[in-house]
Amino acid sequence: MPSTPVPAGPASAPAAVPVYDSARRPHPFVEELLELWRYRDLVLQWSLRNLTLRYKKSALGVLWTLIEPLMLMAILAVVFSTIFKFMDRYPVYLLAGLLLFDFLSRSTLQISDEIVESQSLAKRIHVPRSAFAVAWILTFLVNWLIALLPLLAIMLWFDGQLTWALLTVPLGIVLTALFALGVGLMVATLAAFFQDVRLTYQVLLTAWLYATPIIYPLSIVPESLQGYFRLNPMLHLCTLVRDPVYYERVAAPETWAIGVALSLGAVLLGWWTFTHWRNAFDYRS
Amino acid sequence: MSLPDGIASAAAPIIAVPPAIELHQVSVCFTVAKERIVSFKEYVLHRLKNRVEHQQLWALKAVDLEVRAGETLGLVGRNGAGKSTLLKVISRVLRPTQGRVIVRGRVAPLLELGAGFHFDLTGRENVFLNATLLGHPRGPVEERFDSVVRFAELEEFIDLPVRSYSSGMLARLGFSVATMFRPQILILDEVLAVGDASFQLKCIRRIQEFQARGTAILLASHDLSSVAQHCHRVAWIEDGTIVDIGEARGVLDRYSTAMVGAS
Repeated sequence: MPSTPVPAGPASAPAAVPVYDSARRPHPFVEELLELWRYRDLVLQWSLRNLTLRYKKSALGVLWTLIEPLMLMAILAVVFSTIFKFMDRYPVYLLAGLLLFDFLSRSTLQISDEIVESQSLAKRIHVPRSAFAVAWILTFLVNWLIALLPLLAIMLWFDGQLTWALLTVPLGIVLTALFALGVGLMVATLAAFFQDVRLTYQVLLTAWLYATPIIYPLSIVPESLQGYFRLNPMLHLCTLVRDPVYYERVAAPETWAIGVALSLGAVLLGWWTFTHWRNAFDYRS
Repeated sequence: MSLPDGIASAAAPIIAVPPAIELHQVSVCFTVAKERIVSFKEYVLHRLKNRVEHQQLWALKAVDLEVRAGETLGLVGRNGAGKSTLLKVISRVLRPTQGRVIVRGRVAPLLELGAGFHFDLTGRENVFLNATLLGHPRGPVEERFDSVVRFAELEEFIDLPVRSYSSGMLARLGFSVATMFRPQILILDEVLAVGDASFQLKCIRRIQEFQARGTAILLASHDLSSVAQHCHRVAWIEDGTIVDIGEARGVLDRYSTAMVGAS
């Protein structure tokens, strides 16, 4: 460990100190991973900071995390319930998807902002910036856990059954978290280069929300178009969470396979994008 | 690179160890776009017209340098000469474009104290945040926490938000966190001592103690008298190269003569 005081051993044992050799650096992809592991306490500390700041700043604190999704759901449920009145327990369906998409949009935007913001810090001290990205994912996972309470309340209110299938929900959210980390790193890399990326991405997120069957069921989409809808990664990730919550069943094995492939693909691509281009944006002055 | 006699004997017990810092033909190149393109739209338009031109700016050019454990090296030179770039290459903020850098041990930068402090968090929270930002695991930081606060003389204020701190208090806490563990390499960029006179003395004493225990120190400063006072050797950097390096007094004399002549 870098910070443990080096034992005053014999001078012939310099192996006790970390040696940095610029000629023997691993590939950036691997180097960033190793550094992230070395800075794992920063990840925890940074998530703690994010949570502290969030809950210190607003008077309602944790309560806000409970109320916010409920209010959003209430508004959408009132607006769309009449349209989708053929759907049994519509608010449960709506909230399950909404919470997941909310996780994606907030965490990716936040990762992008933090990576751009931390550029000034990273110009002064050596720090693996992926740590901030992972820290934000952890932060939003905690938020999501808290937001699970209103979802449970709504489920029980509509006489939902608490089935064993619900135990697969955390796995679905973990896959979504990996997916969000990958997307966040890709957006962050672009945003570090260009100022208009954030706004563009925000608009795209809104479009993405409406292109995903969250407010409406996939069944209302004309069958000829459903194939295109299946190209949307969020459809599959939503299904993983919504199947146990709303349909009270574990999602189909194919959906799990697609979900795992999508999230691993996104996180690997995002990590590669970020570590590959990081060099370039560090050297622009 | 041979050391002057006085220092060689002072560092005698550890002379068998390889140098703390080695730079071999290190060059750093920045790419500056001739027109600043800030939006993706502009970039695409420029790209279509094939007009993205870049200028290359070499901030360091084939620098060779060795710093031994326990040695203090001063860096002098005009603003923009490459002092900060050299320090950044050593502290791993920048990678060399060409050449090789070897750093043996942990580098503690004292560039701008308190960088990364969050004003809405308490002193206590900021100590942990700052220490982990500098790469320390939490456990050892917890062990040292009380001594960090004591050194900064902030026992009564540590649970208050940093927003309420004076700039002196902030600087004391920043220094105390940055130096909570003895690094093998300490980087001082204009910051040597902070706070009032008595605290400055404490800072200097801590730095001297590090040095006596084998920390290599790099001090970049425009304050030539403090460079003369603290450094064994001095490197004079001009336009990305080391134009003069050697025993402190001699280099500083030649440097100040040149500066007077230039103005």
